[in-house]
Amino acid sequence: MMTAIASRRHRLHFVIGWLLLLASPSLSLAQADGDDGPDYSRKGADSCFACHDDQATLAVFRTPHAVPTDSRTPFGHDQLQCEACHGPGGEHGARVRRGQERPGVIAFGEGATGSVAEQNAYCIDCHGTDTGLGWHGSAHDDDTITCAGCHTSHAASDPILQTSTQANVCYDCHQQQRTQSLKPFAHVVDEGKMDCGSCHNVHDTTFDAMLVRQTLNQTCHECHAETRGPHLWEHAPVAEDCSNCHDPHGSNHPGMLTMRGPMLCQSCHSQAGHPSLPQDADGLPSGMASQYLLGQNCMNCHGQVHGSNHPSGSKLMR
Amino acid sequence: MRTIVKSLALPILIGSPTIVAADVDTSDWLCESCPFETGYRAEYEAGASYASDDAGRFGNGTGYDEKGTYGNFDGSGHYSTDDYQLDWMIEDLGLSTRFAEISGGQQGSYGFYLAYREIPYRLFDTTQTIFTGNLGLPAGWVGAGSTSGMTALDASLRTRAIESDRRILDAGGHWLSGKRWSVFADFRRQRKEGIDIIAGSGFSQASQLPRVHDYETDQIDLGIRFRLPKGSATLAYYGSFFSNKNDALSWQSPFSTFTNPERNVMAEAPDNEFQQLTLSGNYRFESWRSVLTASLSTGTGEQDEVLLPYTSFASVPSEPLPRATLDGSVDTTNFALTWTARPMDGLRVKAAYRYDDRDNTTPQSEWTRVIVDFVNSGEAEQNIPYSFERSKLNLSAEYRLFRDWRVSAGYDYKTLDRDFQEVAEQTEDTGWGQVRWRPDGWADLRLRGGTSRRDIDRYDTSVTASAGQNPLLRKYNLAYRYREFVEFVASASLPNAPLSVGATFYRSDDNYSRSQLGMTDARERRLTTDVTWAISETASAYLVYGDEQIEAAQLGSAGFSDADWSAAHDDNFDHVGIGFALRNIGEKLDLRFDYTRGNGDSAIGVTTDTNGFRPLPDLESELDSLRIEVEYRSSEHLEVTATLRYEQFSADDWALQDVEPATIPTLLSLGAEPYDYDLWVFGVGFRYRFGDRDIALVD
Repeated sequence: MMTAIASRRHRLHFVIGWLLLLASPSLSLAQADGDDGPDYSRKGADSCFACHDDQATLAVFRTPHAVPTDSRTPFGHDQLQCEACHGPGGEHGARVRRGQERPGVIAFGEGATGSVAEQNAYCIDCHGTDTGLGWHGSAHDDDTITCAGCHTSHAASDPILQTSTQANVCYDCHQQQRTQSLKPFAHVVDEGKMDCGSCHNVHDTTFDAMLVRQTLNQTCHECHAETRGPHLWEHAPVAEDCSNCHDPHGSNHPGMLTMRGPMLCQSCHSQAGHPSLPQDADGLPSGMASQYLLGQNCMNCHGQVHGSNHPSGSKLMR
Repeated sequence: MRTIVKSLALPILIGSPTIVAADVDTSDWLCESCPFETGYRAEYEAGASYASDDAGRFGNGTGYDEKGTYGNFDGSGHYSTDDYQLDWMIEDLGLSTRFAEISGGQQGSYGFYLAYREIPYRLFDTTQTIFTGNLGLPAGWVGAGSTSGMTALDASLRTRAIESDRRILDAGGHWLSGKRWSVFADFRRQRKEGIDIIAGSGFSQASQLPRVHDYETDQIDLGIRFRLPKGSATLAYYGSFFSNKNDALSWQSPFSTFTNPERNVMAEAPDNEFQQLTLSGNYRFESWRSVLTASLSTGTGEQDEVLLPYTSFASVPSEPLPRATLDGSVDTTNFALTWTARPMDGLRVKAAYRYDDRDNTTPQSEWTRVIVDFVNSGEAEQNIPYSFERSKLNLSAEYRLFRDWRVSAGYDYKTLDRDFQEVAEQTEDTGWGQVRWRPDGWADLRLRGGTSRRDIDRYDTSVTASAGQNPLLRKYNLAYRYREFVEFVASASLPNAPLSVGATFYRSDDNYSRSQLGMTDARERRLTTDVTWAISETASAYLVYGDEQIEAAQLGSAGFSDADWSAAHDDNFDHVGIGFALRNIGEKLDLRFDYTRGNGDSAIGVTTDTNGFRPLPDLESELDSLRIEVEYRSSEHLEVTATLRYEQFSADDWALQDVEPATIPTLLSLGAEPYDYDLWVFGVGFRYRFGDRDIALVD
């Protein structure tokens, strides 16, 4: 949901990135001729497809990478086709002696042949100033994640760019978030109706915690603007940080609260005249059925915990 | 070849435009065999599903919230000419999770998209209320001082599900001008309609009200981006405009105490807006292969809803309002600067600074509260416009010690300055270290640990003294805290074995040693593992497991003195998932099987000086979810699909268990029951493909 915009924005930026990135003729990595330069293939992609004609490889022609009228894409006019990303393939495509190992080219993802830096350099050289505006210094950059670790650039539909499949890609590394997403109270990420990109901008370090907006609260307010205010009567921890009370990745407790009420509220409130009474088994229906414990506990009366705009609402009851 | 690639990669990394395509003789690169895509391809699937039972919670995200038959329609397609592209997608057209999107344009020049999505939220389908649609009392209602005396209750109860639907419309586009400039515009309208629960409170009694809400939020993102060979800059505008169709909520109290012929009234979430301007950019320097990234945002949030009177009861005397509207305003400033560099081979350093300011400039006034519409408190209270400034400094360095070993260390320093709260200045120092072993290509092991100390200048109890706060209490987000943490992350793809294994472990211990009341200790422990087995090119299987435990201890005081009770929280959740996928069985059949089991268990033990240890019953949840999907290709263009889903979910929750509408004498509740359902969903469909499935090289 909130999914949509963020993921759409990422998708859009991804496409823009490709377009812009490839706009630069400096994209390409090498020179074919000259004694000192790397050796490119004689016929470009036609040379490659003599061997690499499987469907997984050819699916690149159903992606934005292979639009010939867009001169910035690898298959744009005068661009280096397969070798724009995989590097010079002259030696790789040349004859080898019996028993000699065929020289490789840069490969990505599973079976990658280059270092993380080498792999990412090919992507960042084009996408670095757009999609990857804040990639450098981001948590993913710190962890030396490869672009291909998340993106499947040859697939007609890259799973990480689809709301319904994105989370499963993220969960490969963010296993804890998978666990949390299965808790009884969680956003509908696991059902594929929201994605991680609804809240996180995974390429960017400029916003707090790689969020889509500058702060956590600004991010939450994208979909929960009814809590934004400013209210006449603010609840201080709400105005400061939603995660003071909520765990957005999932919780055992209603409302994705970090702890069950009323104890959560009692962590901060102990007032004379409204004492912080212990709520134990005596308050269950089998006992005296306490309104401080059952139902929505404190919120059975203080329903406006996100703030009240009523002149008599200082106790967050109006 | 590796050497060649490395020699090429390095200059690229530092952003130097090295060798351009024009330098390569591509005159023979005709791409004659390249199957560039033009024309039309699409696939559409039509079918029907049957859900075996009502299960509101299952409807969250799936759309199957009621027993019955559902029609399904999904599809996607692509059309392109040499210059233009158009893509579309439809999901769940027959369900309340429907989604449709169309996007297109001329790649390299402009693009656009239009999308629509619905997301259902089903909280309870077991709730009952006496209230009429406008929260009035039913005919023949007999009020009483407690729920047990409400003699017309049973006859007046009607089922009212607590549910809502979110409808999201997205539209936008981008335009590229030459190689340097681009602009983008995104618009989103979200509408959330439905019923939620809000408290309608009186002096010592309250009712859970099924409130009808109708929210609409419009968001606009506009931006212009300028790109240089080594950097870029973006100027962006963000506007968010929230509108609530209801300004106030009124209801009649079902209790006879303090009866009044007029309705009680509370304020609804006020209309508000937030607008923000952001300038961001990055630049790659050649020296030390460094990259600088920065962003600066300035924003303003405003809220000027007309205020309600102190009380809705004309008979209750009240003061005139000091203002007709709040004239609420919050200014925000956000700044971030990140610098990364590689000053020498094997060394990477990073410095990041972040500053967030929320300056609530809402004017303060004195307000004389009328308590729950009835009693003029006679005491003036000032509204408190909370403001804060937060800054973070992160410094870290990573050094490649040996070929496969890296060590890194970092220091984080945070400050948080607040207005009108017990703690005005808060700092937090964090130091950490990490060792990482990453042999080429097959394994990645990280061990990280550190400590942090959150300190405060002082805890000024006089700030909340007028509210009667116990001076010994320390709010957990303001209190002194010492934390130790350790994390281990491992992943490996075993050489010569089609097995990938991942595992994580994390543990943190928090100690609030200076708190006599409130949170005193917290501990978090997480363990996960993930195994994937690529059995063959057409078969794979997986196993995932996760376990999380969160413990916390708190002290409380019923006697407004030292601690006289304590609570120990032990929150657990674990899950296991297994599955496999078989593709191209007999070149006709794909089969996928996924099973997930999840268990939640939260124990809260309460100990009091008077009663001793009196634990609450465990809060338990149990999930079993099974999904089997089969696709049979009957021809090049036609596939038959079948899906079988089973889900069982049950919960033991003392907050809801046996809590009927009249169970609590002072609360007329909605009587929601703990979740408990199991159902099957079976669906069949036919998928037809227009265009070729496979891509063939041009002869």
